[in-house]
Amino acid sequence: MSLCSTQTLGKVFDETFQETLTLRPLSDGRLLSAFSFTTVLKGATPRDPGTLEVEDEAQHYTLFPLALGQTLREYAVTELHMTLNAGKWNYDRWGYPEEIGVGTGAELWVYMGDSGKVSIDDRWQGLRNALAGLFCASLGSLDEQRTTSPSLTFRPEGSLPQWPFRHELRHASLPSENVCTENLTPFLKLLPCKGISGIASLLNPHRLFDSDWHGLGVHVRYLHNQGVEVRLSFQAVSDPVRYSMQGKRDWSLASVFDRAIHTTCPVASTSVVRVALPAEKSAILSPEPYGLSDGHAIYHVSDAAKPLDISMQWQEESKFIYPLASSIPPLTPISVQRTLKGSVQSQGRLSVVIQNHLPFTMQVSYLETMPWLLQFYLHSLRVTHNGGPRDDLVSIVSYTPPVPHLRPTLFQALLTLPPKGTLHLSMDVMKPFLRYTEHPPDAERGWDLPPAVFVPLMSSNHTSADDPTSGANVSDVYLKHQSRKIYTPVLLVDLATPDFSMPYNVIILSCTLIALIFGSVFNRLTRKFVVVRVNQESTDPQTDVVPAFASDKDRSI
Amino acid sequence: MRLPISLLSLSLLCLSSIISAQQSAEEQITSFFNANTKSDTTSGSGHTNNWAVLVCASRYWFNYRHMANALGMYRTVKRLGIPDSNIILMLSDDAACNTRNKFPGCVFASAHGPGRATGKGGGGQDSLDLYGDNIEVDYRGYEVTVENFLRVLTGRVPPSVPRSKRLLSNDRSNVFIYMTGHGGNEFLKFQDDEEISAFDIADALEQMWQKKRYSEVLFMIDTCQANTMFSKFYSPNILATGSSEMDEKSYSFENDNDLGVAVIDSYTHYVLKFMEGINKTSQMTMQDLFNTYSFDKFHSTAGVRSDLFNRPLDKTYITDFLGGVSQAEVLIPLPPSDPPLEPESQHEYSAAPAPHDFNTTSEPKEEEVSLFPELATHLLDDAEKSTLRAWTSTAVLLGLVGWVAARRSASAKASP
Repeated sequence: MSLCSTQTLGKVFDETFQETLTLRPLSDGRLLSAFSFTTVLKGATPRDPGTLEVEDEAQHYTLFPLALGQTLREYAVTELHMTLNAGKWNYDRWGYPEEIGVGTGAELWVYMGDSGKVSIDDRWQGLRNALAGLFCASLGSLDEQRTTSPSLTFRPEGSLPQWPFRHELRHASLPSENVCTENLTPFLKLLPCKGISGIASLLNPHRLFDSDWHGLGVHVRYLHNQGVEVRLSFQAVSDPVRYSMQGKRDWSLASVFDRAIHTTCPVASTSVVRVALPAEKSAILSPEPYGLSDGHAIYHVSDAAKPLDISMQWQEESKFIYPLASSIPPLTPISVQRTLKGSVQSQGRLSVVIQNHLPFTMQVSYLETMPWLLQFYLHSLRVTHNGGPRDDLVSIVSYTPPVPHLRPTLFQALLTLPPKGTLHLSMDVMKPFLRYTEHPPDAERGWDLPPAVFVPLMSSNHTSADDPTSGANVSDVYLKHQSRKIYTPVLLVDLATPDFSMPYNVIILSCTLIALIFGSVFNRLTRKFVVVRVNQESTDPQTDVVPAFASDKDRSI
Repeated sequence: MRLPISLLSLSLLCLSSIISAQQSAEEQITSFFNANTKSDTTSGSGHTNNWAVLVCASRYWFNYRHMANALGMYRTVKRLGIPDSNIILMLSDDAACNTRNKFPGCVFASAHGPGRATGKGGGGQDSLDLYGDNIEVDYRGYEVTVENFLRVLTGRVPPSVPRSKRLLSNDRSNVFIYMTGHGGNEFLKFQDDEEISAFDIADALEQMWQKKRYSEVLFMIDTCQANTMFSKFYSPNILATGSSEMDEKSYSFENDNDLGVAVIDSYTHYVLKFMEGINKTSQMTMQDLFNTYSFDKFHSTAGVRSDLFNRPLDKTYITDFLGGVSQAEVLIPLPPSDPPLEPESQHEYSAAPAPHDFNTTSEPKEEEVSLFPELATHLLDDAEKSTLRAWTSTAVLLGLVGWVAARRSASAKASP
C-alpha cells in the first residue's frame, strides 16, 4: 500500500502560460492572424521510455493540458508536432507563415526514444489513435502505408534527453483531411482559459473557417534547461477586402473575428498582441500601441483598455488595388511548383520547378513522402537548369522504394541551386492499380498526395547529415543553421477506377447459375415426377393428364 | 394472566412501531433520491446512463440534409443533457466547412429568412445553426463505414481505439440510435459505397443484448423505406420508429436558395420541431411524439414498432432516451435474510436482470454467450429428419459429380 502511494505521488511542476496573437497585413490585402498559446512545464522531462513497463507517476497539472499530457506520458513521446491545415499557403504572396507547418491536411511527426520495452510502431499507433480521439480527426488513418522517417528534413525543434538509446522519428501526413469546428472545440478545451477570456476568445469558428487559409497545430518539445513546452497554434489568413463593402483592406478585430477582447486570461503570464507594421506610412493603427519592437506594434492585453478592438486603416486608400504578381519582391529564398503531368491513368511525369531568388548558390533539401499510389521511376530523373541538362545538381541522399499495400516511398535529395536560376526536375511515375476494396467511397475524385517539403540550407558548406539522435548539442547547433521548411501544395492523382457495379454483376450471375444447377439436380434427386389425374371424366384428352412435380409429402395426400 | 397478555401485546406494538419507523425512514430516503427521477411517476425506466449513436451515412454536398438530420438529433440529445462523451456522432462528410458552404461552420436546420442573409457566418435569428461552436464529431469522412458502425455497437474495437470512439454502455444504459441516409428495402447505403442490411443491425442489437450493452434501445431512422430497417429486430426492449413504409420515399422538407440544396428531411424536421419544445424535466412521452406523426406532414407513413418494447409508450418519457438522466439508487445494507431495498421502477420490466446483483450487471460475461442460441435448441427437434435427408442427397449429388468427372477423365485418357 505504501509502495503504491509513493508511486502515485507525482511531482508538481511550476507552470507558465503565455499567449500571443500576431497580426500581419499581407501584400494582397489579406490579414494573417497567428495565435500561439505556450504552456511550459518547468523542470519536467519527457517520460523515459525505459520505464514504460512500470506504472507511471501521477500527473498533476494546473495549466498544462491534462488530456494531452497523459497521452504524451502514456506513449513516452519526446517531441510531437501535429498540424491540421486547410487551404494552400501562398508563399509568393504571403511569405513565410508564423508557424512553419502549413502542409495541407493533417501532418503528424514525433520523436520517441526507442528503449525496446514497447516497440516504437506500437506506440506510434497508439499515439495516432489517442490524438485522433482527442482532436476529432482521422489521424487513425495515418497507418504504416503513410509512415516514414525523413530525419533529414524533420529535425527535432527542441532538445532530446540524454538517454542511452536512440530517438526515432515517425512522420505521416494525410492531405485529404479537412479542418472544422469539431477540431477547434477540443483545441480550445486544452487551453487554461478555454475560449472564454484572453486572446483565445477571438477564436470564433464561424469566422476562422471562413478564412482563405486556416490551420491549427500542436507542438510539444523538450527544452533542455526549461522543461516540456506545449505550443498550441492557430493561423488564419482572412480577407478584409472580401468583407468590406467598399473593397477596402481596413480591418479590426471586430471585423475579422466578429469579436473583441473583453477580458484578460488571469493565469496568462504574458498576453500580447503584436501587429506587424506595413511598409506604407498611411496605415493608422488604433488604439495607440504600448510599444514598438522589431517592426511590430505591441499591445499588452492585461494593461489595455477593454474591450480591446485593434484596428488598422489605410486612410488614403479609397479602394484596395491588388498588386501585380511581378511587383511583389520574392518573400522566400525559393519558389517551388510541383505538378503531375500526363493524362493516362497508368503513368505520368512528376515535374518540380524550383526558382532560386538569391544571388548565390544555395543547397536545398527536397523530400517526397509519397504513398505507394504514385511510384517513382528514379532512373528517369532528369534535371535541367535554364534549359540545359545538369544532372550533377541533384544528389540523392536516401531512397526507400515503396511496397505496394504496405509502405510509402521516402525520397530525400539534396539540390544545388545556382544563383538566380530555375531548376527543372522531372521523373516518370507509375500509377498502380488498386484492389477493389482499397478505393475510397468517392473513388472518382482521385487521391490527394502529400506535399513535398523543401528546406533551403543557407550555408552550403554545412553538411546536414549529422545524426540528430546523438544528443542535444548537435540539434542545437543545427537549429542555428536550419532554415524554414517550405511545403508545396498537394497533388491530386487520378488512378484507374473499376466499374464498381461489375463485382456485383459477377456475383449475382454466378450465384444464379450455381443456384439453378444445384436446385435442378437436387430436385431431380429428392423428388419424384408422377402423373396426377385431375379429372377422370374430362372429354378433352389434352387436359386429363397434368404433369406435376410432387414431393413425397404431396403424394401421400 | 392478563398481565402477560398485555405485556406481550405491548411489546408487539413496540416492535411493529419500530419496524414501521424503520420502514418509513427507508421510504423517505428512497422518495428523496427518487424525487427527481421518473420512477415515482411510473415511467419505470431502470436506466442509469444514456448513450446516443447518431449516424449520417451519406457523403457529398448535395446530401447536406442528411448531415443536418444527424446534427439536429445531436443538438437535441446534447441540449437534453447527454454529454459529448456519451454521444457517438458519425458524419460521413464535412458539410459545415465544405467550400461550397456559403456559411462556413454552420449547418442550418431550416431555410433562411432575412436574418441570416445579412449576418455573415454567425447565422441569423430565424434559422437554427446546428453546428454551433462546440461540437465533437467522433467518426468523420471515410471512417464512417458499416464496419465501424457495427464495431461501435457491439464494442468489438481494437484496444488502442480512444474512449471517445467507443460505446461504453452497460446493461443499465438507454441507447438512442439514429440513422439517416439513402436507403431502400431493408438496407441503408453508407457513403455510396456499401450497405448495411436490416439483418446486420438486428444481429448487432442482439449481440449488444447478449453482451449486456443496453437496457433499452430507441431506434430511429429517417430514410426511404425506413420501416423495413427495423422489421428484422428480434431482441428485447427495443422501440423502433422510422419515417416511411416499404415502397415509400422519405422527402426533404425544404430547399434553401442560398445554399442551393435541401436543408433537412421532413420527418426529422418535425421530430426536431417537437423536441425543441422539450426540456430536461419534460414529462412528454414517446406516445406524444408518435401522435404527432401524420402523412400530411411527412408525405410518408411513419412507423412505430413497439412489440419488442415492454413498457407502455404513454409511460415512456422522451427524456428516457434523449435526455441525460442519472438516477441515484438507494442500497441500504440490510441483514442477508431481508430482500434488499430497491426502487419500485426496477420491478416493472421482467426481462432486465436483477439490478442489485452487481456481479452480473457490472461485468458482462461474454463467455456465456452462445454463438447460435437459436440453432442449439431447435436443431435436433423436428427438423432433424429433413436435414439428414438434405445432407444425404447432397452427398449423393457430390458422389455423382465425382463419378461423372472420373468417367470423363477416364474417357479423355482413353480417347487419344
